[in-house]
Amino acid sequence: MDMLLEALLSILTLEGLITILAGVTAGLFIGALPGLTATMALAVLLPFTFTMSPLQGLMALGAVYMGAIYGGAFTAILINTPGTPSSIATTFDGYPMARQGRAYEALAAATIASVVGGIIGVAFLLLLAPPLARLAVVFGPAEMFWVALLGLTLVASLSSGSLLKGLLGGCIGMLLSTIGVSPIGGETRFIFGFPALQGGIELIVALIGLFVIPELISMAAQGRGALPESGKLKGGAGSAILRMGKHIFSKPINLIRSCIIGQIIAIIPGAGGNVTSLVAYNEARRFSKDPASFGKGNVDGVIASESSNNVMVAGSMVPLLTLGIPGAPPDAIILGVLLMHGLRPGIDLFTETGVLTNGFILSMGFAALFLLPVGLMGGRLIHRIVVKTPFYFLLPSIAMVTILGTYALRNSMVDVFIMLLLGTVGYFLRLIGIQAAPIVLGMILGVIAEKGYVQTMLAAVVDPIPWLRLVANPLSIVLACLVVLSVATTLLPGWLERSGRMAKAKRDEEQAP
Amino acid sequence: MTLRLNTDLAAGVFGLLFAALLWFPRESMGRLSIIFPRAILVITVVISLALIVKAFTKPAARRVHVEGNPVRLAVMIVVLFVWWYAIGLLGFLLATAIVFFGLTWYLARVEGPVTMRRLAQWVPVVALLIGAFYLAFTQVLNVRLPSGIWS
Repeated sequence: MDMLLEALLSILTLEGLITILAGVTAGLFIGALPGLTATMALAVLLPFTFTMSPLQGLMALGAVYMGAIYGGAFTAILINTPGTPSSIATTFDGYPMARQGRAYEALAAATIASVVGGIIGVAFLLLLAPPLARLAVVFGPAEMFWVALLGLTLVASLSSGSLLKGLLGGCIGMLLSTIGVSPIGGETRFIFGFPALQGGIELIVALIGLFVIPELISMAAQGRGALPESGKLKGGAGSAILRMGKHIFSKPINLIRSCIIGQIIAIIPGAGGNVTSLVAYNEARRFSKDPASFGKGNVDGVIASESSNNVMVAGSMVPLLTLGIPGAPPDAIILGVLLMHGLRPGIDLFTETGVLTNGFILSMGFAALFLLPVGLMGGRLIHRIVVKTPFYFLLPSIAMVTILGTYALRNSMVDVFIMLLLGTVGYFLRLIGIQAAPIVLGMILGVIAEKGYVQTMLAAVVDPIPWLRLVANPLSIVLACLVVLSVATTLLPGWLERSGRMAKAKRDEEQAP
Repeated sequence: MTLRLNTDLAAGVFGLLFAALLWFPRESMGRLSIIFPRAILVITVVISLALIVKAFTKPAARRVHVEGNPVRLAVMIVVLFVWWYAIGLLGFLLATAIVFFGLTWYLARVEGPVTMRRLAQWVPVVALLIGAFYLAFTQVLNVRLPSGIWS
């Protein structure tokens, strides 16, 4: 407790608070640019921390991380472009809300959810790091396979009308994820003689292409901006914040469930924020009394996505600080900084250098709090830019940032070409009912599912029935049951409605005395 | 613009073509590399066939609505690929300056004729926008942007 108090005092200085504020602001604006991920934000700002003390450097990086993950929500809501992959699920309801003139409501909900998520993640990290770390190592390849399948059940929710087309989109995404070097066999696959394809199709490239380019083409064809006239603010900003605050805290179940999902998935190394927000969104939709409104501007979708991905920021530090395993890609950079300062992950981090570690964790809590003023002001600014800029300036500007962001990932013009190609194909696929979201979901989860499946099969090579290894321990059985349950609860209402049983049950209920 | 198209059939045929594209090069791969893609390819083919059957028995939409002007739609797609090609040829700065300005002029014509005076007013705005992003990426983010024939 003394250590915690000492850590708190060490960050509550003017210098410390300015560092956090600057970190959150820088992270927010980098995260809001399509193509620039939280990992890139940390990598770019890393050299600036070399001259700082270990605690100040870690505080700055923690704040940048928190700001970047949250910043992805801005473009997701305002121009249907996830700034970072962890904001994919935010686009599903955030952009429809913005187009209905509820942009500020969506931004306020995303901000409040991110702040709460960030603080809960920090609380989890402070209180439960050692037991949660033990849970992290229980997840082997079979469990990862089931986690990926659990995420894939979201395809049914994202199909918007046709389940078959949603599944086809998911399969196309998974096949796209297999291009390049195989994660287990090490062979190159489906590169068609182009060496540039050996590195595979980068997720961000596909994400930008499939989400941004169809929107740009559509905007050009219709001669409109990202947000139509109806996209201007309805009511004042203050009333939107109050309304959303009341909505979130009067029915906190969605928020609590999303935070728990975010925390559990965050501690699994390799899962990352992309998966947490998708799974949390899916569960919010499944447990909602009005699942049909999801994808059409239901604020609960934004809350689920944003709270879970910000829980992940501190949550993914659990395996990092206790076991030295980065829970998500940006954590690898934080690990590098820890090692650079001679700090080795493990129990010593919480005892011998406890003030430093606890100071770092607490600073992430303050960074989450700073999201509120910075985010609400930044959100207003970015919203104004998107709505006020004439579409003939906005459209080429978005295209330029898209090209720059894609190129900057690997300094590759081939990536830019792939992005444009996927975007153009994605536009026509959207016309025939195959949406971008299931394709991207397939790309994210395909890699995890393949690794989990192939590693499990390799381990079971001497077993008489190898696939039984997928359900060989209690955790994988529980996860498999969750997958079945998820599929059943998603498909059952639709099937009952189609077969007329639901209407019959309602009629019987009405006729009953 | 509204096109007559059975979307189930179109999606099914696209799925089959995509699966065929990846099905043939799979022969030369080892077991560990092909086990997962093969399973997904089989599922893709099954789903595509199901969509084709559905297209004839219980089709979904038979019309596709393309919102907006189809000429502008085609021009936008072409411009994006020309932009990509021009960056490799002329370098980022020059190619972007030309395409950005041209695209702005083309799109602004939707709202009415663009006078020379208005065009001249845009020059500093476009230069400032491109310059700001160019400097941010090259100086702050240390990204070496393509310089094309000027390298």
